[in-house]
Amino acid sequence: MKLMYDFFTGQLGLDAAGANIAVASVMAVIMFTVMALCAIILTWMERKVAGFMQSRYGPMYTGRFHGWAQAVADMLKILGKEDIIPTEADKGLFKFAPILVLLGSLLAWAAIPWAPDFVAADFDLGLFYIFAVSSLVVIGILMAGWASNNKWSLYGAARGAAQMISYEIPLALAVVPVVMRAGSLNPQDIVIAQQGGIWHWNINPITNPFLFIAFFMYFIASIAETNRGPFDMPETESELVAGYHTEYTGMRFAFFFLAEYANLFLVSMIAALVFLGGWWAPFPGMGWIPPALNFIIKGVLLVFLNMWVRWTLPRVRVDQLMHLCWKVMIPVSLLCVVGAGVWMMAWGQLK
Amino acid sequence: MGQYFADIVAAVGSAMQGMAITFKHIYKKPVTLQYPDERQVMPERFRGFVHNDMTKCDACNICAKLCPVDCIYIEAEGKAKERVMTRYAIDYNKCIWCSLCTENCHTGSITMSHDYDHSVYDRRSLVYEFMDPRVAKIPCHRATRIEQGWWVEPKEDKPGAGDKGDDA
Repeated sequence: MKLMYDFFTGQLGLDAAGANIAVASVMAVIMFTVMALCAIILTWMERKVAGFMQSRYGPMYTGRFHGWAQAVADMLKILGKEDIIPTEADKGLFKFAPILVLLGSLLAWAAIPWAPDFVAADFDLGLFYIFAVSSLVVIGILMAGWASNNKWSLYGAARGAAQMISYEIPLALAVVPVVMRAGSLNPQDIVIAQQGGIWHWNINPITNPFLFIAFFMYFIASIAETNRGPFDMPETESELVAGYHTEYTGMRFAFFFLAEYANLFLVSMIAALVFLGGWWAPFPGMGWIPPALNFIIKGVLLVFLNMWVRWTLPRVRVDQLMHLCWKVMIPVSLLCVVGAGVWMMAWGQLK
Repeated sequence: MGQYFADIVAAVGSAMQGMAITFKHIYKKPVTLQYPDERQVMPERFRGFVHNDMTKCDACNICAKLCPVDCIYIEAEGKAKERVMTRYAIDYNKCIWCSLCTENCHTGSITMSHDYDHSVYDRRSLVYEFMDPRVAKIPCHRATRIEQGWWVEPKEDKPGAGDKGDDA
């Protein structure tokens, strides 16, 4: 960031405000490109993972090598689809909802540090900001369901809102012990606090077993946050056609699709930042690996874990979903906060 | 309270068990075949599309008469040594793969092949013509066939046991 800023002020002779705007624009373009690319790659990955887990191949023909071009072809196809807005729909809200859903995750992407000092928006409330703006997705989903004027859409949206708001509590609570340990809400500081190999990462159960439990609490809550199986209640295709995006076609549907995978990678990246040491290599001798690559590999591994869960477990019922959140995960997360605090006090790990 | 913790342990345990099973499947060879490129090997006596070897057939009409659904069309003209076959066609829309024709063919020309995937856009394309009279009319009499080099010795063993034509 500093380098880019210096380039704009020094080489191009911009003043401070101009350079800031230029840096922000460049980062916005990079982030949006990476987001679209990651949606395409993860779609392909999801199909292959699902295929191999079910003893089949998944896409094999498009692009010759293991159907790598299938997702690209699908994206091109979806761009060419007719844009249909139902007659009875609330047109303004209907058009705005997909943008809001995508905006929620893109805003959160801004605060992710990919490498030391490579972050679009570097500020001290980073983690808090990420959780705050990712709540926009709930509003977008509710908006989409309401504006479609379709009972399935509305059911899906209502379920989505109930589920995502409920699971935000354990999600945020699971991160609190880490914030206590690093003494900062800035994602960069949290990563820097985990320097020095795999045993310094927050997930290490020997340093603090409560953080280890918190990681799993975070992971389960993040699956529910991204509306993926086994918690895909808002889009249960066997009951609700497609849930909140039933009435959407073409590019507007692509926005929801993009947002789903962008959110999936977002929550995985946050888990990698907060629990798995961000851009640090697992062992001290591996400093030659580019930090961003370390970070992306961790994110992709967590995405794989997410897909693995999705293609293994059957969907839960609405009451089971709420039971799990309010009666199991919130108490356990609270216990983790208290336990981790006591543990850190006892061993003098608090900053 | 005890039940509450027992439920959590059971849920985590069964989820782990399920995930172990799906993970094992990643390394297993997929059970599906890349169909047009890879094909299943059919058993020896598989009844695929009926195939007629025109170099052996002498238009005796046994198959057409035996056929319970009348799906074999044979046309011939002339008498005795001048008798020539002008049409041999099988309508696979009607064929019931009963194998009566192949079991009773005295020249062993008609066989069940291992072909099974003849999808077409028009059901008329499923009427297969085995010869074109404009190219050659096939003589039916033994002497004429030997003279013109068409004759192939009839097989001793039961037709259909070996020598499966796959080029229907």
